[in-house]
Parts: sequence; structure tokens; C-alpha cells
Amino acid sequence: MKLWYSFTKELKLSSKGFYFYIEILMAVIIITVLLVFIPENIKNISDEYLMLDMPAAVEEQFISPLLSQDLDGEIEIVALELDKEMMDVRLIESEDQRIYLIDNRDNLIALSKKDRPSASAYISGDDISKLTYEYYIQGYESERLQNLYMIIHIEDIMTIANLASNQKVVALDADYDHLNSRESALPALLTFNGSMMGLFIIAAYIFLDRQQGIIKAYAITASRVWQYLMSQVLVLMTVTTLTTFAILLAVMGFKANYLMVILLLLPSAFFFSSLGLWVASFFTNLTQAFGAIYFLMMAFMLPAIAYFIPSWEPLWIKFLPTYYLIQGFKESIIDNGDMGFVLLASGIYLGVGIITFLLANSRFEKTLTA
Amino acid sequence: MIKVNGLSHSYNKDGKYAVKDVSFEVKEGEVFGFLGPSGAGKSTTQNILTGLLKLQEGEVTVAGYDVKHIKNEMFNRIGMSFEQSNVYSKMTAKENLDFYRKLFDVETKEPQFLLDLVGLGDKGNIKAGEFSKGMKHRLTFARSMINNPTLWFLDEPTTGLDPSIAADIKDIIKAENKKGVTVFLTTHNMYIADELCDRVAFIVDGDIKLIDSPKNLKMQYGDKLVEVEYIKDGETINESLSTIEENDKKKLQDIIGQSDIQTMHTKEATLEEIFIKGTGRGLI
Ligand SMILES: Nc1ncnc2c1ncn2[C@@H]1O[C@H](COP(=O)(O)OP(=O)(O)OP(=O)(O)O)[C@@H](O)[C@H]1O
Ligand SMILES: [Mg+2]
Repeated sequence: MKLWYSFTKELKLSSKGFYFYIEILMAVIIITVLLVFIPENIKNISDEYLMLDMPAAVEEQFISPLLSQDLDGEIEIVALELDKEMMDVRLIESEDQRIYLIDNRDNLIALSKKDRPSASAYISGDDISKLTYEYYIQGYESERLQNLYMIIHIEDIMTIANLASNQKVVALDADYDHLNSRESALPALLTFNGSMMGLFIIAAYIFLDRQQGIIKAYAITASRVWQYLMSQVLVLMTVTTLTTFAILLAVMGFKANYLMVILLLLPSAFFFSSLGLWVASFFTNLTQAFGAIYFLMMAFMLPAIAYFIPSWEPLWIKFLPTYYLIQGFKESIIDNGDMGFVLLASGIYLGVGIITFLLANSRFEKTLTA
Repeated sequence: MIKVNGLSHSYNKDGKYAVKDVSFEVKEGEVFGFLGPSGAGKSTTQNILTGLLKLQEGEVTVAGYDVKHIKNEMFNRIGMSFEQSNVYSKMTAKENLDFYRKLFDVETKEPQFLLDLVGLGDKGNIKAGEFSKGMKHRLTFARSMINNPTLWFLDEPTTGLDPSIAADIKDIIKAENKKGVTVFLTTHNMYIADELCDRVAFIVDGDIKLIDSPKNLKMQYGDKLVEVEYIKDGETINESLSTIEENDKKKLQDIIGQSDIQTMHTKEATLEEIFIKGTGRGLI
């Protein structure tokens, strides 16, 4: 009952406070970024610079399949800039590719240096099936791509094309839905909103109260300090739930699995705000605590980076608590997400959260007069 | 009401004691003054009694509860006014009290009644953050009475208040005490202690030097002095003479016999003078 009074009072208080608006603002920013700046599907148009050194007939043979993909079926003449001079080149533009045909080898190299296209090559030969490819790479290309360049022309191009078209790629789980780019940015942003903000804001709340000596006043009532702390945690859980739902509704409508979201969200918000409490218990004001909080927030961002760069995922990243939150959010917004994983993650957050909360509580009880 | 036996406390557990082997007892219904200079260990002791600091060494019973294993119910029976006011600055005076009363399991006083009592009756709807220092202090003081405590801890209740309000606060403390409330008063203001306390303890460097009633202390430590004003050879003369010392006694007799006495009264030593004599230390 006293917990309820404290909770409603804290909720009322926080709605009058500065940090509440930071959280709302954060959610608004996330929604804006997602809806305005990230298109539903990012089109990846790649630029290629090629020089074709071959008889006109062979060149014709080379270009015609490319031209069939062209948006208007015609070669355009456009100008590229090199050393402050404009130079006319031919352009074949398809849905996802812009192929520039450059007439001079020196210019090709210079332009490739300057513009860093995704591919650039000098192609020569008298017979369409026996062309020589000379690739110019930037140096940062992966070894994989370099190897691919080396083998791709060993066999007759056509053979590879035939082989490739005979391969069938089957997704292992046919139900596994594809997220659009907006949706796939969500897990990382929701994690930021749910964990980092909780961690930081609860510490800010605590320091505000500590400065005013309010925790002391609370401690000499028939209500216990853990109830005070829990009321703060509950406020954070409430606000996080509200903002998360607002973001999800705005971006995904009713497509997300809200039951899974809430199952994941409440225990994780509980854990992260308890962690914020525990960290706060070691300091007397926000300025002092800032270093520690900043460090934690940075560390907790790393799984988000790993999430966006699938090829970078060192083992230790799995020890960071935000890792499971990101994965969990992903499971809860795709169709037929893995409920087992979400339940396991939320169970772990709850367990670790309880331990962290108890630690924070005992720290606070020991430092009431500080 | 309070029993303290062999209480010691070291903040960093490094053998440096803020309070060392302190023992005393506060009887039910009395006003007990805890006096000492800054850093003497007053707040430390009070914080241990109210459970804000963990008891390290010694035995302490407060309102019948063993402080080693504090029970929640204990807090229904005690009230504490803090030296530094600590109220929610974003809530009005009334909201502060309204919220606070919900944290007890016993009957509580009406917020408006308390606000009237400390002269904030018409300020109930103002945010505590907009209060002056003295007003906040009064609100903190009022809050400490909300659960009708039978044991009332007051840390510098009149510091920083203007004299007329300080007098009101003193009257409230007296009135509550008359109703049977035991008061544990921490202060370095000797006049207030003198006026309110049934007994005082002098604490210096974490050590209690003396415990007695102000009256007894004065009898024991104060020189009994007589101040006389008399006219001799047309001149008015003022003199303080001891009633114990032989020379002074003789002189007094002569004056009474030979001169025209204008005024004559006995003078008591102040508690402050006694403190200095009794502990060898000033109060600052
Ligand atoms: N949190 C703390 N950590 C370490 N030492 C402390 C702490 N609080 C107080 N002390 C030390 O304990 C001693 C007693 O301090 P205490 O606050 O009890 O004095 P006090 O009698 O209440 O003084 P004042 O009249 O200034 O309030 C002092 O030497 C002080 O420096
Ligand atoms: Mg003090």
C-alpha cells in the first residue's frame, strides 16, 4: 500500500520534472528518425566505372545485356568531373546499378581514385568469351571480395552464370519474415530507449532526492527504503513501457508481438534501473557519477554496433546485458519470433535484476546519512 | 524511553571513533538535551538511535525496540526533525504532509492543523521549493509531529529562525512535552537547552563528560555570586562578590554595614559557562 502511494507520488512528481520530458523527447526523436529519415527500404545503388577496350562488335555484345536492364533502354551521356574539368561518359542506369563507361584508362584510374565507386575495371579482348579483366580496388575491400575477383573469370563467365542460375537458395525457416530497414533499426533503438535511459534517468532522480535529503526523511517513516527505491524503479518501468509502445505503434502498428515485448520489457527495465540505482549508490551527485554511467552506456552500445554489422560479433559481446535485449526485441517484432528465447531472456533479467536491486538496497541503507 | 550502553561508532572502521563508549538513559516524559560543540558526535549518536546509521558497538534500546534489529513499527512511535530541512521541493507544503502521513500505520495529524501550528496556515498550497529557509525548516519540524510520536528527536529545531518564531517552536515543544512526549533535543544553543531541558548531557569529542539537570549543574559548578551596587563617598560602585570566598564574604558584610545599598541580587552562572568549566572546552 505504501509502495503504491510512493509510486503514484513519484509518478506525479516525475511528470512535473525535467527528466520525464527528456524521455518523451527521446521517444519522439526515435520515432522521427525512423519515420522521416529512414526509408522503409534503403535502395543500394552501386556505381561501377568500366573501360571497355574491345572492337565495336564485341563491345556491342558486352553492353546489350546490360542495356536490357536500363531504365529507359538507352545509353545516356553524362558528365563526370575530374581535375575541375567535366568529361562526357556513357551511363547505363538500372534499378540498382549505375555503370559508367569511360574511354581513357588514365581517366578511369583517376576517377576511381577520386570517386571510389563500388567497382572499377579495365576490360579488354577481341572475343566476348575471352575477355581480360583488370580490377582497380581501393584497398579496403575484404579479402573475400578480392578472392572472388580472382576466381570469377577463371571459368567462362557464362558457365558461372549457368551454374548460378541452377543453384537454388532456400531459406531454412520459411516463416522467418523479412524486416524492412525501418523495422530492423528498431531493436537497437528500443534497447537504447529502454536500458540506457532507465540507467541514466533513475540515477538522475536519485541524486535529485539525495540532494534534498529526502531519502533520509523516508527512512525514518514506517515505510522502508526498498519501497522508496522500488517506487522509483516502477516509475521508470512505466515510462519505458509507454515510450516503447509509442515507438512500436508508430513504426509497426499492430504487427509487433506486444505480449512478447512486455514480457521482455518489464524485467529488462527492472534490471537496468536497478543497475542505475546500484551505480548511483556509490556517488553523491550526478557529476561524480557521470563517468561511470557514461562508460556503462558506451559499453552497452557495443551490441547495437554488432547488431548492425553482422560480421563483427566477438564472443565477449554476449556478456553485455544489452545483447539479449536487442535479440529479444528482434524476436518480438518479427512474425513467429522465438518465444522461448524471449522467456529465457526475461527470466534472466528478472533474476539478475532482483540481485542487483537487493545490492542497491543494502548500499542505500548503509549510506543514508551520506 | 532510550537506553544506551557502551555505544561506539567509527565511520571508516579505522579505529577513529566519532562516538566512543557512550552510555546514558532518557526517561519517559523528559526533555533530554544533547549538547556539544560542532563535530562532537551529536548527530552521529542521534542517527544511530533513529536507525539512519547502523549500530556497530554497544546496546541501544529506543522506545522499547532493540536498535540492533530495528522493527518497522518503531518508526510509528518516533518523529524526527532534521537540522537541514528535507522536503520535496516540487510538492506544495500540504502535498508534502499528505504524502508523508500515508507512510505510517498509526493515526496521523491533519496537515492543515500542523501548518497552522507552525504559522504556515495560509501557505499550504505553495510549493516547498519556493519557501524561505525558515519556512522549510518549520515544515520539516511540523512533519516530524505528524504521526503523534511518543519519542521526538529534534536536531537544532530553532536554528535560523527569527526570535518570535523560535519562541513559538519552543512553546510547541513545551506543550507536546506536557502531553507526555519524550524529547531528545540536539543543539548547541545553551539558552534553549536551559529553558527546555530537564536534563542535559555534555558531549565533547565523542565522549559524554557530564549528565545532570541544568539546576544541579549550576549548583555544582556555578560560583554563587552576589552583585551589589552601592554608594560610597558619593560614588556609585558595582561589585560581584562570591558568597563562598572568605575575603568576599567579609567585604560584603562591610558594605552592608557601612554603605548605602542601591541594588543587590544573586547571579547564576549560565549553562555555557558551566559547559566551559565542566568540559574545558568552548561550545563552538
Ligand atoms: N559520514 C561521515 N564519514 C566520516 N566521518 C564522519 C561522517 N559524519 C561525521 N563524521 C565525523 O564524525 C564526527 C562527529 O560528527 P557529528 O556529525 O556527529 O557531529 P555533531 O556533533 O553533530 O556536529 P554539528 O554540531 O556540527 O552538527 C566528526 O569528527 C565528523 O568529522
Ligand atoms: Mg550535527
